[in-house]
Amino acid sequence: MKNIILIIAAIIATNFAQAQITKAELVATGLTCSMCSNAINKQFKTLPEVDSVTTNLNKNSFTIYLKKGNTLTPKAFKDKVEKAGFFVGSLVLTMPFDNVKAADNVAITTNNTNYIFIDTKPQTLQGQTLVKVLDKGYVTQKEYKSLQKALAKYPSYVANSNNNFHLKTM
Amino acid sequence: MKIILFFLSFCITIQTQAQELFVVTEPASNMATGTIGLRLAQSVLKEKYEPGNNYHIMPEVMWGVSKKLMLHTAIFISNRNKSKLETEGGTLYAKYRFYSTDDVHKHFRAAAYGRVSVNNSDIHQEEINTMGHNSGYETGVVATQLIHKVAISSSISYEQATNNSKVNKFPTAQINNATNYTLSFGRLMYPKSYTSYKQTNINVMVEFVGQKLNGSSKSFLDAVPSIQFIINSQARIDLAYIQQLYSTMYRTATNGVYLKLEYNLFNVTK
Repeated sequence: MKNIILIIAAIIATNFAQAQITKAELVATGLTCSMCSNAINKQFKTLPEVDSVTTNLNKNSFTIYLKKGNTLTPKAFKDKVEKAGFFVGSLVLTMPFDNVKAADNVAITTNNTNYIFIDTKPQTLQGQTLVKVLDKGYVTQKEYKSLQKALAKYPSYVANSNNNFHLKTM
Repeated sequence: MKIILFFLSFCITIQTQAQELFVVTEPASNMATGTIGLRLAQSVLKEKYEPGNNYHIMPEVMWGVSKKLMLHTAIFISNRNKSKLETEGGTLYAKYRFYSTDDVHKHFRAAAYGRVSVNNSDIHQEEINTMGHNSGYETGVVATQLIHKVAISSSISYEQATNNSKVNKFPTAQINNATNYTLSFGRLMYPKSYTSYKQTNINVMVEFVGQKLNGSSKSFLDAVPSIQFIINSQARIDLAYIQQLYSTMYRTATNGVYLKLEYNLFNVTK
């Protein structure tokens, strides 16, 4: 019995780790000035889960390194960029996967958050994996318009829920 | 004539497409949520009909309340009473961003704003200015387009003056309401390429500020060229020259220099 509990606990722990974000590479839209970029930079640094942030001011890109064991979802980054007065143009996450079977329209669930693979061939994901978030508010407004048409066959994508994130492996 | 000038400058600049942290006008964009901005604006304008200069100091506090709303408050100090500097009044300003469309290195935004001011100084000109001369209110809309290093912004507003005080009433012979319009251009000149937040940014700007007294042909148009230094991605120094292009109304001090200092404190409130 004790062993079973331990095994279950281990599985939960593994699933939890599977959907953890270790690094986020984000491009913000709507700005060119360094003061604007700094406003976003300072917003990220208010998150206790953030370990460090590096910036490319010319590309308005931010690489956010997160602490181990964090439970942040992509929404945390979007909220911070929008609080600074700007928008997310692209978000690529680094997630450590341990033997995760990914395929088109397959979800992994953690902390009430579903990460759904889109346009993904059946594969086993192992180790640090780069995934791009395709949802509204995580791509440019133009890109979202074309994705809306291209991904119309995925009901969860169309539903646009805050708990569902649609990922494409890179 | 004004409309032609307005349209012409719009056409010229739309080709080139900077920066929108303008000196005498506000863009449609707001400060980041939770940011407090501290400003000190000073102007020295040459008196036209008497010797000396008209000196104004305006300390201002700005607050990014949410991603869409920001508030400003300022007090007006001037040497209108020649012997010494006196606090003449203050203002409250709110701006709400109601439209945004962004892409990489560009955005188009629109905002509505309103201002309420009190001022107890004597009313000595036909120009209506609730930023340091008249009690009253102003309400308007502003739209700003940013494309790479260039920003263009335009606003139109209605301004209503009231009595300044029991002693300094608004003259019954003068028109107490006006339509204001502004057109601003800004361009990031330096650096060509960013390396860090510590780099000083240099912007050059030119702003056109006009007013027409409603129901009359009286109007004026000023041009305000400026240079702006952004230091450490946190502080601003703006140096501008205000030049009247034309005026058909009575104004007592029109041309001179304008210096504005600003320091931003990020994430002061949630």
